[in-house]
Amino acid sequence: MASERYHRQLILKGFGEEAQLKLASAKVLVIGVGGLGCPALQYLAAAGIGHLGLVDDDTVALSNLHRQVLYTTTDIGKLKVEVAAERLVEMNPEIEIITYPTYIQRNNILNLIQDYHIVLDGTDNFETRYIINDACALLNIPLVFAAVDGYEGQLAIFNIKDDNGICTNYRDLFPIPPKKGEIPNCAENGVLGVLPGIIGSLAAAEVIKLITEIGKPLINRLLHYNILTLQQYELNMSSGSDYTLPHTVADFLKMEDNNSCEIDSYLEIDATQLKQIQQKPSTLIIDVREEFEVPLLNPDLYKKIPMSKLDEFLAQEVTAYHVIFICQHGIRSITAAENFHKKYGTSKKVYSLKGGIAKWRNHLTI
Amino acid sequence: MEIEIISFGKIAEFMANQRLTVDGIKTTAQLKDFLEQEFPPLAGIKYKLALNKTIIQETVELKSGDTVAIMPPFSGG
Repeated sequence: MASERYHRQLILKGFGEEAQLKLASAKVLVIGVGGLGCPALQYLAAAGIGHLGLVDDDTVALSNLHRQVLYTTTDIGKLKVEVAAERLVEMNPEIEIITYPTYIQRNNILNLIQDYHIVLDGTDNFETRYIINDACALLNIPLVFAAVDGYEGQLAIFNIKDDNGICTNYRDLFPIPPKKGEIPNCAENGVLGVLPGIIGSLAAAEVIKLITEIGKPLINRLLHYNILTLQQYELNMSSGSDYTLPHTVADFLKMEDNNSCEIDSYLEIDATQLKQIQQKPSTLIIDVREEFEVPLLNPDLYKKIPMSKLDEFLAQEVTAYHVIFICQHGIRSITAAENFHKKYGTSKKVYSLKGGIAKWRNHLTI
Repeated sequence: MEIEIISFGKIAEFMANQRLTVDGIKTTAQLKDFLEQEFPPLAGIKYKLALNKTIIQETVELKSGDTVAIMPPFSGG
């Protein structure tokens, strides 16, 4: 081990060669190499974590670059794990980096995580986060949980017993996954690039503290961070009782991840189905994006009612029978469809375009 | 009875941090019902309550001067 590389942390009080050797033999899996994963990986690699696994099936997009700081403009279209691994090896060629260009699912996660000592969850959706939580709880692998929303972040460590023998997981906070559209994601709600930089760096610090056994890691505590006020709020966690986790691999694999809404309130459709419904009489398609959002669609075919004016719209009577809501990514349109359904019940057919205009723009009329 | 309410994330958009003077509310379950009536969007969101910085897993009694934090889940990365 080139001790000069790690000199400044080796000379730290309470750190030293012993801690550095622990880092060198540690295996850490980072799931999601995006806004949280990039800064976390930079510091984990630089600190000398001996074995780093990177999981992400996504490719670099222009809209990633303001927060996913391992990537450059020329990387657009390339696999994130490959670009990230390349950069991290340049930073520290002394560590092993393994890439998994895979989308995490219930049937592949156990094989992925079983050889790792710690998992860092930097993903961007609830479905994956619950799969990671349940899998880490099943295999008893410490999980560093990091998440952001707008200007705020959350951080916690699960599956490690505290001094009182209490061990918590994400379901002790939120037993049931939110429905689609209930909580916005970054694509819908926006995120200040530096926020996941801070939360991802804090997550890396917690990983290093766990491995080297220094300080007081965030075990059974949920840290909330607000970048606008720089205020932190810490909550103590305890075990809940209103959920059950699978105790066997077979039970784990059988769990349902489909947390979308009941089918009788609205239907999620694709562009082909949208075109079929469009042909039917008494159909209304509503674009709930705000006025400034592009691409602009033909207002004769897609009636513009921004979410900010949806309540006014719902106060009026709609005569159409088939009502399809569309938006940029198919998330706000779910909220609109749900609200519409609340008013009209089963007296109308309500739909939401899954994936939104971003996915189907070539199928829609500009 | 006076309760301090602290809210986060999406919940803070419709329910600002505030001191609530509530009469007849004795438990966290009653407080939840009251808040969901006062702030209807709350009823459509999953959230967790923390009493004086400790997450609560079941209904507990409230006393004047308590702080109740209301935390929604975040998924972004």
